[in-house]
Amino acid sequence: MTAVLPEVLGIPDRLPDLEDEDLQTLFRERAQDVDAVVHGPVGRHGVPRAVAGIAAGHQCRSFMAWEDLPASGVASALTAAGLTRVEGEVPVETRMEHQLGYRDLDLGVTGATAGLAESGSVVLEHRPGRPRMASLVPEVHVALLDLILMERTLVHWAHKFPESVANTANLVVITGPSRTGDIEQQLTLGVHGPKHVHIVLIK
Amino acid sequence: MEWPQVQLVVTCLVDVLAPQVGRATLAVLENSGCRVDFPEGQTCCGQPAFNVGLTDQAREMAAHTLDVLDVTEGPIVVPSGSCTQMIAHHYIELFEGTDRADQADRVAGRTRELTQFLIDDLGVDASASCDGCSVAYHYSCHGLRGLGLEAQADRLLEGVDRVNLDGDKECCGFGGLFSIEMPAISAAIMDEKLDRVEASGADTLVGGDVSCLMHLEGGLRRRGSKVVVKHIAELLAGSDI
Amino acid sequence: MSQPVSFVTRADALLGSKEAAAVVKGIRHFNDARDRVVAEFPIMEELRDRARAIRLHSLSHLDRLLGQFADQVTALGGTVHFAADADEANRIVAEILQQSDSSLVVKSKSMVSEEIELNHHLEGVGLEVVETDLGEFIVQLAGDTPSHIIAPVLHMTRQDIGELFSEKLSVEYTDDPTELNEIARAHLREIFLSADAGISGVNMAIAETGSVVLVTNEGNGRLTTTAPRVHIALMGMERIVSSWEDATVVLEVLARSATGQRLSVYTSVITGPRREGDPDGPEESHVVVIDNGRSEILGGPTAEILACIRCGACLNVCPIFQTVGGHAYGTVYSGPVGSIVTPGLHGMEPWWELPYASTMCGACEEVCPIRIQIPSMLLQLRERAASEGRLPGWLNKGMSRYARTTTDPQKWRRATKWASRLSAPLASGGWLRRIPGPGRGWTKFRDLPRPASESFAEWWRTNRGS
Repeated sequence: MTAVLPEVLGIPDRLPDLEDEDLQTLFRERAQDVDAVVHGPVGRHGVPRAVAGIAAGHQCRSFMAWEDLPASGVASALTAAGLTRVEGEVPVETRMEHQLGYRDLDLGVTGATAGLAESGSVVLEHRPGRPRMASLVPEVHVALLDLILMERTLVHWAHKFPESVANTANLVVITGPSRTGDIEQQLTLGVHGPKHVHIVLIK
Repeated sequence: MEWPQVQLVVTCLVDVLAPQVGRATLAVLENSGCRVDFPEGQTCCGQPAFNVGLTDQAREMAAHTLDVLDVTEGPIVVPSGSCTQMIAHHYIELFEGTDRADQADRVAGRTRELTQFLIDDLGVDASASCDGCSVAYHYSCHGLRGLGLEAQADRLLEGVDRVNLDGDKECCGFGGLFSIEMPAISAAIMDEKLDRVEASGADTLVGGDVSCLMHLEGGLRRRGSKVVVKHIAELLAGSDI
Repeated sequence: MSQPVSFVTRADALLGSKEAAAVVKGIRHFNDARDRVVAEFPIMEELRDRARAIRLHSLSHLDRLLGQFADQVTALGGTVHFAADADEANRIVAEILQQSDSSLVVKSKSMVSEEIELNHHLEGVGLEVVETDLGEFIVQLAGDTPSHIIAPVLHMTRQDIGELFSEKLSVEYTDDPTELNEIARAHLREIFLSADAGISGVNMAIAETGSVVLVTNEGNGRLTTTAPRVHIALMGMERIVSSWEDATVVLEVLARSATGQRLSVYTSVITGPRREGDPDGPEESHVVVIDNGRSEILGGPTAEILACIRCGACLNVCPIFQTVGGHAYGTVYSGPVGSIVTPGLHGMEPWWELPYASTMCGACEEVCPIRIQIPSMLLQLRERAASEGRLPGWLNKGMSRYARTTTDPQKWRRATKWASRLSAPLASGGWLRRIPGPGRGWTKFRDLPRPASESFAEWWRTNRGS
């Protein structure tokens, strides 16, 4: 069918630019706005200690982590600190039983494909070894973000890396902890998703 | 420089319910050096019919208005944002593809709202005055969003003691026949606006459209308020009405 | 579609109510936040232009995009189902659930699911569906309907919700939002992790990749589409764009316009079911593409309304919505957008009234991220209503008389003279406190200036005439 639609004037190919800003400073400010906590930047070797510190601060007793984190030694540092590691691979046959075991999961540690400074967001691309649940079920989510992956906005990042979406069954852009204002417009954090989001910047 | 010959279209509401606004507009234009004529066949631009979807009747009234105005020359000045928008924008839509299309274009192109004419076209130094008053200004929706009128009134009011009016760009609730089709809702929106007028501390409420103003003044009277309501033309004309 | 009672009747009943007051309070907050983030973002206006172009392009190429989308989804191992109407959509969903042996179903927010009354249908065939969006969960528990497309329980106070939870969930009464939240979180966690199927809405589908984009804040959208083994996404057929790049342009203007957030907490892009080696995610993936009257709209003069991205900004700035709230509209889609979509999807009877619930102030068009020309479409619908003879007799007759009078200057002169004479004895201080007939709606709430003893035209003739 032919729709009766208004004409649209030509739109330039190139996206409009934003004035240059220090991305790290902007990211910190905007992440804070959405109640995420930004740490670092730390060197790659300092990451395990940073994560263990966050875990201790929240008194976490169990964790789930991506297999391929941008820094090594994180899982072992957490285990050494006494946390139980919860397996993120969900077997098809025992799905429900396995997932019900996530009930008391305290901490999830993930990497990030990009940081978006304008909104204080991290982008997570899921693939083998990277459970989605790690950034979803626990009370605390720690995202490890390489500074070199920092971009300005979602729209600029997408135009730079358009293929990201097709490469994965699940990509999520996370902007702070889970929230709702449904009850009398009063902000509450940690509705169904994590209540605390920590982003560790890696230099 | 020769000041222009202008045609004054007062609007149906002004003609019948607020002729002092017509006299004020006339005074302002003449004080700015214009020669003003009043095309006597004018009645109503047809907006009330147009807004409720009675397009045939709207066209009849618009056609009459076009005939009255097309035989005149010079800018057509109207002390109302909504009527100006009707003539300047909607007449073209109403007569597109008909044998009045050119006529509609011509008349539409000449039609200007009062503050728009004074500031943008004439570039006059006219200045509103209101001795001892504190003024709150209500920006009528059609003028504000339809014609982009805002800076003009601000300029003209620079000389008065102006207070901040919370929500001054929000609708007053009149909406034409909406005011009697859904009167309780119209009044509720009006009450919200009047609460803010009273909270602003102003003793004078000013606007650019008699439609909004008579609705708001009617509400102020009903609640026993002492706030005085004036069209901006009246502040510009001062004692010359 | 239920509720044949008129808009005005419902609206008048809600005026001044506790519910309406709660709506206004909530909306102020959205508007302030929106103004702030829009002012701060220098490329907002350009992105609005782009978003408009993208959405209109989609509508002009809808068949092709939907075809491309379906091909991509199929290639990924998912299934696309096209549903012509609500009945078909409901049957399809029920079938998927039955065939996949799903008995416990979780649902995240989907306006189209409310439009087709999905829950009602599924309960009718013995399937349990749990709403998980906090506001929708509360609405479901209360047996109520949402009052705003973004904020479903704008009309309920914390005390209302506290009482509801204590009664229905057998917990101790609290009205502290944080505690209420904890209660809901704990209650729904078990359900999420053991559900068989998850039903979600779709904010946008992406044709090139076969993806669906979900925009949420609570995490229930992610849980609904990650924990269960079956995912069913419900989508209005117009909610599609060509590419991920295009989708992000829309996303940049969406959250800012809706709630004043730069981005919602979770923007999920789901591209097919769990892939080989993925640790979690659903095994089975379905998208139900729903028409239910959209082709009708697309082929008509209000086609542009289908470009809507469901941000709710127009509701938030509408003086009528602000005064009466969403329930007054009696339908899933309320406010300015709803006033155009509802008669489009469900016909002019009884929805012709909704386009008249407007002062034509234009605030909606001013904030719409897609710059949809709402007032002009409201006028189109009004014109249609008038030509279908739906306006009251007094208005038709009155306007005919008015047109006859105003097209004859002599008649006009006589009429204004008479109006002045007749009203003089009724007026006090130049004002009328009560007038009869259809005008009594005016004087019930405000005074009316009486026709002046000398009209401007008479004054001119006397003082300036030739």
